[in-house]
Amino acid sequence: MNWARFTAVVAKEWAEITRDRLFLVLAFVVPPALMVVFGLGMNLDVENIPLAIVDHDHSPQSRDYAYRMIDSRYFDFKGYLHDEHQIPKLISRGDVRAVVVIPPKFGQDLVAGRSVSVQTLLDGQFPLRANIARGYIGAINANYSQELISSFLSRAAGLSPDQARQQMGNLRLEMRMLYNQSGKSIWSLAPKLIMMVLMMTPPLLTAVSVVREKERGSILNIYASTVSRAEFLLGKLMPYAGISMVNGVFLWGIAVFYFEAPFKGSFGFYLLATFIYSFTTTGIGLLVSSFVKTQIAAVVITMVVTLVPAILFSGMLFPLSSMGPEAQVIAHLAPAMHYGQIIDGAFMKGIGLDRLWPSVVSLLIYALALFLLAYYFFTKRPQE
Amino acid sequence: MPGNFGEILQHMRVMTLKELLQFRRDIFLLIVVIYAFSIDIYVAGSGIEMELKQAALTVADYDQSPASRDLIYSFRQPQFKFQGMEMNGDRAMDLLDAGKTMLYMEIPADFNEALLAGRPTQIQLLVDTSNSVLGSLATSYAAQIVAGFGIQKAMERLSVGGAMGGSLPMVNSAHRVWFNPNGKDRWFVPINEMLTMITMLSIMLPAAAMVREKERGTVEQLLVSPLTPLEIMLPKVFAMTLVILIGVTLAVFGVLGPVFDIPFRGNMLLFYVLTAIYVFSTAGFGLAISTVVNNLAQVGLMVIMLLSPMLLLSGAFVPPEAMPKILGYLILLSPMHHYIEIVMGIFLKGVGLDVLWPSVAGLLIVGTAVFSFGTWRFRRQFG
Repeated sequence: MNWARFTAVVAKEWAEITRDRLFLVLAFVVPPALMVVFGLGMNLDVENIPLAIVDHDHSPQSRDYAYRMIDSRYFDFKGYLHDEHQIPKLISRGDVRAVVVIPPKFGQDLVAGRSVSVQTLLDGQFPLRANIARGYIGAINANYSQELISSFLSRAAGLSPDQARQQMGNLRLEMRMLYNQSGKSIWSLAPKLIMMVLMMTPPLLTAVSVVREKERGSILNIYASTVSRAEFLLGKLMPYAGISMVNGVFLWGIAVFYFEAPFKGSFGFYLLATFIYSFTTTGIGLLVSSFVKTQIAAVVITMVVTLVPAILFSGMLFPLSSMGPEAQVIAHLAPAMHYGQIIDGAFMKGIGLDRLWPSVVSLLIYALALFLLAYYFFTKRPQE
Repeated sequence: MPGNFGEILQHMRVMTLKELLQFRRDIFLLIVVIYAFSIDIYVAGSGIEMELKQAALTVADYDQSPASRDLIYSFRQPQFKFQGMEMNGDRAMDLLDAGKTMLYMEIPADFNEALLAGRPTQIQLLVDTSNSVLGSLATSYAAQIVAGFGIQKAMERLSVGGAMGGSLPMVNSAHRVWFNPNGKDRWFVPINEMLTMITMLSIMLPAAAMVREKERGTVEQLLVSPLTPLEIMLPKVFAMTLVILIGVTLAVFGVLGPVFDIPFRGNMLLFYVLTAIYVFSTAGFGLAISTVVNNLAQVGLMVIMLLSPMLLLSGAFVPPEAMPKILGYLILLSPMHHYIEIVMGIFLKGVGLDVLWPSVAGLLIVGTAVFSFGTWRFRRQFG
């Protein structure tokens, strides 16, 4: 590597970037804009689930039970329905996502000490929300049952209501939520968004910058020059990795100051990890560029190979532990997942290099391997 | 404007063929489009579920009694997985920090005794909620399990269950999940992935096809030819719509049906017609982009800028009722939002125009607006 030639390539690339005003603006505006839009819109807190109730019983007990659902902040009560016929249409249109059907003789059975089964119909179009709604309804049922049983006991076993309640509720569960005590989804989401946004633009920009030279023919100057392959590729990479680093700092600021996500770790560690990550993401672009000849192909390929893993396999929306074996393998192959673990640790858990070094090392290996592959496939003597 | 209709048709045909030929010759582009409609959907759909599964549970059992073992055993698969014992609190914290365990439960030494005597006793549970969604699922399941366990033990102690003939006043729920039995993402994710690919390509391919001409300078040739701006523009959209529809066919009949067993409940013709309308109108975004930018790097950035909010906020991941009000309204402007309702409706719910007409109307209105805007920009620049 000749330092002078390397810096010359960097300077040339940088000049090209700064002379394209629209590009320069987009390169620094797109990532923060995406971060803000996603952060505002990707609300994963499950509240205000539109709910309807069919009450076939019309007894005091059924009304009492219905009010537990209606009063819950998790549900947005849309009204009583007369019968089940309207349900398919309402759920199809998304007007309600959950319907509770209280059977006839609900009150009578409970007073007589029999158990009652209540039908819950859920819209499965948003599986996560259906699961959580099911959890809420289950919790309301459990709570209600416990009260029913204790009042039943006080009658059956001749205990006072207080005694009965004490007997039933002697087992207490003290739960402590670690790392995200507020349970706000944006606290969990903001760090992951940094990971996703930083995966979106750098590979694309890097790939296009190389392929553009191929398509325009200006790469012939490089082929004919004394610039070596490593100098050229690294020189191409540098400016985009730099842009990505700067954006990394911006995004951190948005996460911490705008979304007020807690940052418990060290900023230096965050910078180090983001630095390596930037070389990994741009490395993907570099590798793509060594195969393709047209910019369209470069744009489409980088978007397909980077975006999908970043969204699906990074643990942002779908937890890693819930994935099947194939998906687990793919997830571990995607660099985004490792960076995701690092950034989660740095933001929410406040842990650093001493614990997270395996992920950091994985990222480093990625960066190196990607660069070496690109180096191997890039040739100054292309066969036409 | 050139005179007769036959001539226009001839121009369109030749130009559409030219676009298809150009597409076919870019072997990498061809491969990646096939990949996008087959392997990509397969990968996205296999094994991803948004449900708490195998959440690792580590326990400090200071009691080691039948009751404590019973309780640990109640944290069952598939939601939970017993990971092992760890009495040392510091080491347990390390496990939580490293993400090796998600829940850590401490059972006190007098647990069994207290349960038998009816004395109050307390279980400690630490839950890693760094993923808020999983955290809330785990806490709600755990609370239900422990509450159920408490009731069961109390009933055993008071021997009410036996005395009353096993009957107690309880409310159980029978759940039914519609349109997606078992609440599996196995159906939802692959369909959504296909829609993502359709949207991405229908914006990007026409934009790229146009900007490429600009960048290479061949657009000058086109402009001095007898072609009108519309005759330059429409064939690009036609050709790319055709390419995408072929891709959709591959995805529906090659992946969604055979691999994921997703039933196609609705009308096939309706699906294709509406998909063609969607692809065609979304191409308007691509045309508008192609008038603003000068090179493909800019195209890429603009597409990302436009596409990502459309995808994530289309109502596919987050339903409109959970968004801030303003975004909820903005979403109505995205053609993808209407299109998703249509596809999910036709695919999974098997409904027709009678139910879907609001979405179809939305798609037509927004689609026409988008396409007209693209055409207007295009004619202004190249007219």
